[in-house]
Amino acid sequence: MGRCVRYAFLTLLLLAAGLVPAAAQTTTATLNASVNGLARLSISSLTISFPDSDPDTVPSVPASQGPVTITARARTSVNGAVTLTVQAADQLRSGLTTIPASQITWTASGPGFGNGTLSAATAQTVAVWNGSGVRSGTQTFFFRNLWSYPTGTYSLTMTYTLSAA
Amino acid sequence: MKRHILAAAVVVMVIPSGLAAQRLDLAVSPGVITFPSSDPDAVPVISAAPVQVSYRVRENTGAPWSLTVLAGGDLISGSSMVDISNVTWVATPAPPFQNGTLSKTVAQRVASGAGNVPNPNTTGSVTFRLANSWTYSTGTYTQTILFTLSAP
Repeated sequence: MGRCVRYAFLTLLLLAAGLVPAAAQTTTATLNASVNGLARLSISSLTISFPDSDPDTVPSVPASQGPVTITARARTSVNGAVTLTVQAADQLRSGLTTIPASQITWTASGPGFGNGTLSAATAQTVAVWNGSGVRSGTQTFFFRNLWSYPTGTYSLTMTYTLSAA
Repeated sequence: MKRHILAAAVVVMVIPSGLAAQRLDLAVSPGVITFPSSDPDAVPVISAAPVQVSYRVRENTGAPWSLTVLAGGDLISGSSMVDISNVTWVATPAPPFQNGTLSKTVAQRVASGAGNVPNPNTTGSVTFRLANSWTYSTGTYTQTILFTLSAP
């Protein structure tokens, strides 16, 4: 009888100590989230113009618009390369007269951005980053001014390409 | 033998009524909660299809009950991770349900009440939402969440 009483006492002790688990029911669910590759580019000005200037006083003509702000949004793999390039579709053209696209250069600011020279033959790198994110920077364009250019209004089209690995 | 029976009887008689086993039922459907890939600019918060939570509490006179959810960790895709705190939920009806944010360390309350919930068809709707971001790396992320209905 003494042993039984000890059992009962021990059980009561455990109950009092809260060692008897509370009633509980559990169930699980699974969260799945898909993140696909995506890229978006925005440019503050879609027109860049260089005013007529005296080559002696303004050998390098800055664009009237000033710095162009570029914002690149990209989703890629971990540390995947994100590259922004620009390429001229043709030389600067005024009727049959042309000026090489390479007479246009730019200086850049912002993380990942670099200075460069425009080309109609090869896409030129504007900026390079790694991984997903939103990045902003500026490009300020300049036109190399020479006495040798025939008069006219010259134009070309540039194509920006934002790519993510 | 008689002595053992006597001891057991004594134990049963002195257990407070609140410690008697409650009867709890819990079901969540669907069991897979999916956030589709979306443009962060167009869809800053991605909503999954609502989850129906069915629950029943019996033999719980006057005592409190609660339904909690705990994430097993962050959303994981290989070596990539999205912090689980980016997942929130909106739940109805309120009360007993309440809105919240997932945690991997502390179980978060989804619903609570007191007494019995005798109706076997008592359900709540929980819509999980993922804060969308351009900073997420590409991949298919997954994580398990644990719902627990407990009393007291």
